[in-house]
Amino acid sequence: MKPALKLSNVGMRFAMNSGGEKGHFQALSELDLEVNRGDKLGLIGGNGAGKSTLLRIMAGIYPPGSGTVWRAPGLSIALLSLGLGFKNDLTGRENALLAAVLQGMSKSEAKTHLNAIGEFTELGRFYDEPVKSYSSGMRTRLGFATGLLLDTDILLLDEILAVGDQSFRNKAREALSQKLTEDRTVILVHHAENAIREICSRVVWIEQGQIKADGATVEVLEAYANAS
Amino acid sequence: MTLKQYFSLVDTIARLSLKAEARRYYFGFWWWVIEPLLYVAVFYIVFEQLLGTRTPDFLMFLIVGKFTFIWFSKTVNYAGNSLVANAGLIGRMDLPKTLFPMAVILECTYRQTAVFALLGLALIIDGHLPNAYWLWVLPLIAVEALLIVLCGFIASVLVCIKRDFALLINLGMLFLLFMSGVFWDLNAIGDPSTQEALLFWNPVAFLLHSFRQALLWQQTPDLLHLFGLTVFLGCALGLVANGMSRYRYYLAQRVVTT
Repeated sequence: MKPALKLSNVGMRFAMNSGGEKGHFQALSELDLEVNRGDKLGLIGGNGAGKSTLLRIMAGIYPPGSGTVWRAPGLSIALLSLGLGFKNDLTGRENALLAAVLQGMSKSEAKTHLNAIGEFTELGRFYDEPVKSYSSGMRTRLGFATGLLLDTDILLLDEILAVGDQSFRNKAREALSQKLTEDRTVILVHHAENAIREICSRVVWIEQGQIKADGATVEVLEAYANAS
Repeated sequence: MTLKQYFSLVDTIARLSLKAEARRYYFGFWWWVIEPLLYVAVFYIVFEQLLGTRTPDFLMFLIVGKFTFIWFSKTVNYAGNSLVANAGLIGRMDLPKTLFPMAVILECTYRQTAVFALLGLALIIDGHLPNAYWLWVLPLIAVEALLIVLCGFIASVLVCIKRDFALLINLGMLFLLFMSGVFWDLNAIGDPSTQEALLFWNPVAFLLHSFRQALLWQQTPDLLHLFGLTVFLGCALGLVANGMSRYRYYLAQRVVTT
């Protein structure tokens, strides 16, 4: 198996300023992780465990405070998370256009995807209304549908299957499963065990910025369930 | 990201924001010209009607000053908030950080084209017919654009580092409004060395004065000063853009975590 990502001794500390008192929050510390090409890896852990920070470091949004990150040369990587980055005054259609252009499409190419995105979201007339009028469920649907345009070698998915009602969730899982080809590396952060069980063959459990367990999906999920 | 992709993205964001802005207000795109006209009306009432300013042809003097100043002040103010306003996107994608202030600058520049058209119309109606001196407006617009991009980039970084800078930039614009001769004539300064110093240290004052020279007084702007300013702005912009690229991770971290 060829490695896709290697994190060595990764640490991350954020400055905090709560109630006028300055301090630091250690989001990650001394974390080592290797992900191979084609791996379907689940990341679990409580709120504030460091999962989203880890995804951002993997995606290259910012570097770690300490340690090193190695990404296989030539592999593209993207982070998909829901509900973030929408411009509230723009309509769903306009946000979809913007998302497509941001993901590297030309404007004319992006326009060819807009109707399909609208149909997938099932937003109806709301697709042409400003996003500020959307419920959180509608936002996540739009986020999921625009995220499906991503076509990278390494996909980092942050809670993207928490989308609306059960029927849409099934549809979303089916659409996502078409993206999970054998050679695509996927790292999935999700609170729902079912989604992790369904997609991932390996799970890493993170707590207080450190790896608590790393192994086969069933074993790690069981240990996590027993601890919580 | 290629330069073509960069500018296509900047243009897409700017055009979509303009559409959204027009949708937000009842008078839509008309606000592009209503707002500067209202500013001029307020200043005219205060300085001409109430205070009785002695500046000749005050209305046109004010229109040229205010219409060119408003481009600078509004754009830099908006650009200042552009990075923090896009925290969601910055936390998801490693995009060039200059993209966000640049999109705001282009959006405001599209809006400003209507204001410049209105300025030309007002001048013609008032009897200032187009002449060869008007051609100096083109390099003056280019240099003002350069100044706006430089100040917009710096403002966006400062607000990203500490949000308090947004308030200071607002105050700074008010200071510049008074210090740049928007509603008073720099020629009224008695001491020539003071006038020279103001024009040297305040590029906004120099540009406003130059616009008036070209459009109202049929004079050629100080070309040596204009050339020096262009070289300085070009070098400074290169340094700032390079710094924003080099420290893009730091900026992303600031935006996402504060």
